[in-house]
Amino acid sequence: MNSVEARLAKLARNGDRGAFAELVELYKDKIYYLAYRMLGNRHEAEDAVQETFLRVYTNLHRYDENQKFSTWIFRIGTNLCIDRLRRRKHNAYSLDAEMPEGDGADYYSALPGHEDTPEKQVLVSETQEQIREAIETLPDKYKSIVILRYLHDLSLQEIGNVLKMPVTTVKTRVHRGREFLRKKLEQFANGTSL
Amino acid sequence: MNCKEALPLMHEYLDGDLTGPEALRLKEHLLQCTACRALFQQLEHTDAIVRSLPSPAVPDDLTQRIMAGLPPARRRSAWSEWVRHHPAVSVAVVFALVMLGSFMSMWNEDHELMVKGNDLQDVIIQGDTVIVPKGHTVKGNLVVQRGKLEVEGDVAGNLTVIDGSLNLASTAHISGQVTQVDQAVSWVWYKINEFFSNLSK
Repeated sequence: MNSVEARLAKLARNGDRGAFAELVELYKDKIYYLAYRMLGNRHEAEDAVQETFLRVYTNLHRYDENQKFSTWIFRIGTNLCIDRLRRRKHNAYSLDAEMPEGDGADYYSALPGHEDTPEKQVLVSETQEQIREAIETLPDKYKSIVILRYLHDLSLQEIGNVLKMPVTTVKTRVHRGREFLRKKLEQFANGTSL
Repeated sequence: MNCKEALPLMHEYLDGDLTGPEALRLKEHLLQCTACRALFQQLEHTDAIVRSLPSPAVPDDLTQRIMAGLPPARRRSAWSEWVRHHPAVSVAVVFALVMLGSFMSMWNEDHELMVKGNDLQDVIIQGDTVIVPKGHTVKGNLVVQRGKLEVEGDVAGNLTVIDGSLNLASTAHISGQVTQVDQAVSWVWYKINEFFSNLSK
């Protein structure tokens, strides 16, 4: 139990903005990575991070100090991203349609590969690029689990707590996700298109 | 072990959950089965690649934007927080205040002279003075509120003066108790007693 974070959350609940800002500093990167991997682009990731912290802030009175703060915030963030993914599929009848959040972006621009990903500034191997795309195409129910497991190093139990799922289900999905990605990499290696 | 059994063990291994004897069995199978060995290596490779993904660059002003997006701070006084956390006490306090308020207003309302008694035939009222004249008897209790009571005769009962004054002449004779009520609290007590004695009648 991280008592520092629980204490900060308590202070923030009583109106201490400084304490909340500290929590933001502690988690913004992690939530950003999560959102970026889940949603595939910077624009939506930033939006999702802001929304996540807003939800955290307005629900501080519901935070149970006996629960790890990280579990709670990851849950909020992951569920938010899952919702966005669902909405995206639901609205994706016309890729030309302007995205609900406006500012002229349409779905084409939201698709991965249509903007300079931040990693392109860093030397990224082809395989890594392939894997990134492969994660993008992961079915939603494996996506969050793979991301939480591999990129955030959460234990299977912790993932179970975040997603309110039994560990056995988490395990099965990790395995299936892993197999899916392996196959995708194989397809790339064999020159089979996505 | 056949290949079908080996596959879940491979995944368990990569999860970090494979126990000693089972790990040994898997290793033995992999040494013998090239197909499974290849598959295992691919799975290991996949894991490694996923873990090696570089993290995207976080925008510098993200914290600022997040804080700016929060609703304005509502200043909650410590007092209102206390009330929220002690609902029972708060209700009791409010109740007591309401009761006190109504008692105070009742107390203050009675500005007028009031004379109560069963037998007021011989009682004389002059302005704000109530007189039991010499030689006369009041048969029963007598209550005078907000006035001066002068007793020169007899009272065959209790005498109560509320928020007023009492003057007993030498010729006065009271067979019961004499009570003077001057303060709001004792008035409350008086009223309670009156209420209960009315009930028992």
